Amino acid sequence: MTDDTDAHTDRDRDADADTDTDTDADRDTQTDTETETEPATDDSSRLPRIGPGRLALYGALLALVIGYLSPLYGGLTTAFKTQEAYRETSPLQPPIELLSFPHLDGFTVDPWFTAGGELAMGMINSFALTIPAAVFSALLGSLAAYGLTKVNWRGQAFLLALFLAAVFIPYQAVLVPLRQFWSIVDISGLHERGELVELIITHIAYGTPICTVLFRSYYQTLDDELIEAARLDGASLARIYRKIVLPLSVPMFAVTLIYQFTQIWNDFLFALVLLSDRANYVVTLELNALQGAMATDYGVQMAGAFIAALPTILVYIMFGEQFAKGQTM
Amino acid sequence: MADLQLDAVTKVFTERDGNQITAVDDVSLTIEDGEFLVLVGPSGCGKSTTLRMVAGLESISAGQVRLGDTVVNDSKPKDRNIAMVFQSYALYPHMTVRENMAFGLQESTTMPDDEIEQTVASAADMLGIDDLLKRKPDDLSGGQQQRVALGRAIVRDPEVFLLDEPLSNLDAKLRAQMRTELKRLQNELDVATIYVTHDQTEAMTMADKIAILNDGELQQVGTPLECYHEPANLFVASFIGEPSMNFFDVTRDDSQLVHDHFRYDLSNETGDALAGAHAELVLGVRPEDIDLQSTANGAHTYATVVDVVEPMGNENNVYLTIGDEQTQTFVATVDGMHHVEAGETVYAHIPESAVHVFDRQSGHALRNRTVESTTIPETKL
Repeated sequence: MTDDTDAHTDRDRDADADTDTDTDADRDTQTDTETETEPATDDSSRLPRIGPGRLALYGALLALVIGYLSPLYGGLTTAFKTQEAYRETSPLQPPIELLSFPHLDGFTVDPWFTAGGELAMGMINSFALTIPAAVFSALLGSLAAYGLTKVNWRGQAFLLALFLAAVFIPYQAVLVPLRQFWSIVDISGLHERGELVELIITHIAYGTPICTVLFRSYYQTLDDELIEAARLDGASLARIYRKIVLPLSVPMFAVTLIYQFTQIWNDFLFALVLLSDRANYVVTLELNALQGAMATDYGVQMAGAFIAALPTILVYIMFGEQFAKGQTM
Repeated sequence: MADLQLDAVTKVFTERDGNQITAVDDVSLTIEDGEFLVLVGPSGCGKSTTLRMVAGLESISAGQVRLGDTVVNDSKPKDRNIAMVFQSYALYPHMTVRENMAFGLQESTTMPDDEIEQTVASAADMLGIDDLLKRKPDDLSGGQQQRVALGRAIVRDPEVFLLDEPLSNLDAKLRAQMRTELKRLQNELDVATIYVTHDQTEAMTMADKIAILNDGELQQVGTPLECYHEPANLFVASFIGEPSMNFFDVTRDDSQLVHDHFRYDLSNETGDALAGAHAELVLGVRPEDIDLQSTANGAHTYATVVDVVEPMGNENNVYLTIGDEQTQTFVATVDGMHHVEAGETVYAHIPESAVHVFDRQSGHALRNRTVESTTIPETKL
């Protein structure tokens, strides 16, 4: 690729296209590769030409986007519709009549307030559950993985096998023993919020194995000489973790925290089995209760679903970049 | 400040299936205070394992490591007062250069912060990296990282310096430069140093003393020139020197060494040195000791055909074949101005004073070249 080609203006190229189709085809492939390899230095006026293959690809992608987003969109419109509008219009129709403006009869924000009011306590409980459970399972996973990869001791392989096995235990299989266990270790009897503590501990225990496995694969790529250098520098095992391993684990913490946050926030089964006091209900249970209480009001249910999903979306936005970094590491 | 002694140090690894592998076998070494010892050998010979045992990163299966009068076998790495530079440098990527260098002092001493700051600053000054202190390792070039790794070791003011192939990640030019610099630095610090490398050039140029290791066994310990001129066995003879020593499989027949393509007459003196040895021998001669002549005159001169000429500028490496089938090739190093063409017939003079003879079975040197201190040639590398 010469400077000469780079200097061509759009008009030059158009003229070329009119007169000489052969070179045009040549240039087409050239510009394609060029924009892929050096997009930063490219000037914005020169867009790559779109061939039929590329057109089909974009078309298919667009169709997929529409396919995936339409339920979400339908839910969103429903959440802003009155009961009446919901019954009379199709879910994909916007709540505001655009043709006969201003026509706001079918539009309402009431479902959001209703659902928000119903879910408020559940949201608080969910945060009180999810944040400590996610943080502790990530922290314990990180510590366990550190011990399994960077420290040598007997019985390591056996313990690792246990961790791996624990990842694959299905939720349903542990429900009954879990209920029985917490009947014996009766934390809920000590305090009215005890049920939530039980649920937190359950989630930490259940989440630690997968976090350990994730951290382990990351720590295996960590240079052993780094740890040895720190040992020679006089740092103890705990200090090495604190000063070397932990700071280098930030991307992996983003991954495990997002993963655990989503898992625990969205969990319904454990909460259903362990929580009996309405005051301790987490948002997934409240959302379910919403359906029972207002059987017909889909607007409220949709608004509730969006409110309940909001924190996980926010977490993705906040840690998304770190998440991607951690995954590619 | 103290001597470091390795006394019959052995390392046995047990594999998962119960196989025992001896990585380091009965190695005894003494590194005097201020001495620069280079531990050299091919990859997998156990040199790094030896170093790691001294550092305390690897347990010692048998034998003792002593620092002064103290046996340090069971002391933790941090209690050995040893600093190590790793092949990968192992700089902490999340810390600045200053933090990297200060870390060891913070962890292992009770030095107050301002004193640490001062120590780091003076070490950085010594290495010429004082303007890099605020940077992170990722922002540094290979050579700069190397210096920081050295700096991290220096600030600890250790009794023993361990360097594990520290130059292998640098390009050739920088490597040669760092070689000199390291040597100067070690002189300045005057600390016992073990330097591990597989590069015999580094060993020759930097060492006060070379220890050559093969298959976990110590082959020879000596000054670079001792190892070069008086190799203890075939392995050392072939490992030290570039291009390598030429070897000819010969059989002794009274006062002659008989090769498939030539016969080499022995003086009485050499004959005595070989008395009582096996008849199966190896004749060795360094490339630079072979003279190329245009006519056959005198003893120990053989007709050869030039195969390939490698001009190095100051000298030429001339690959020669001897005999009709051209099966035996050897190399002679001649002056760069000495013009030879491939295909040409030349006469190679192999002076008896420069000849080494080894036992073919055990590999032991039976007779080394005669060295008169005044005539020791400049070591060619």
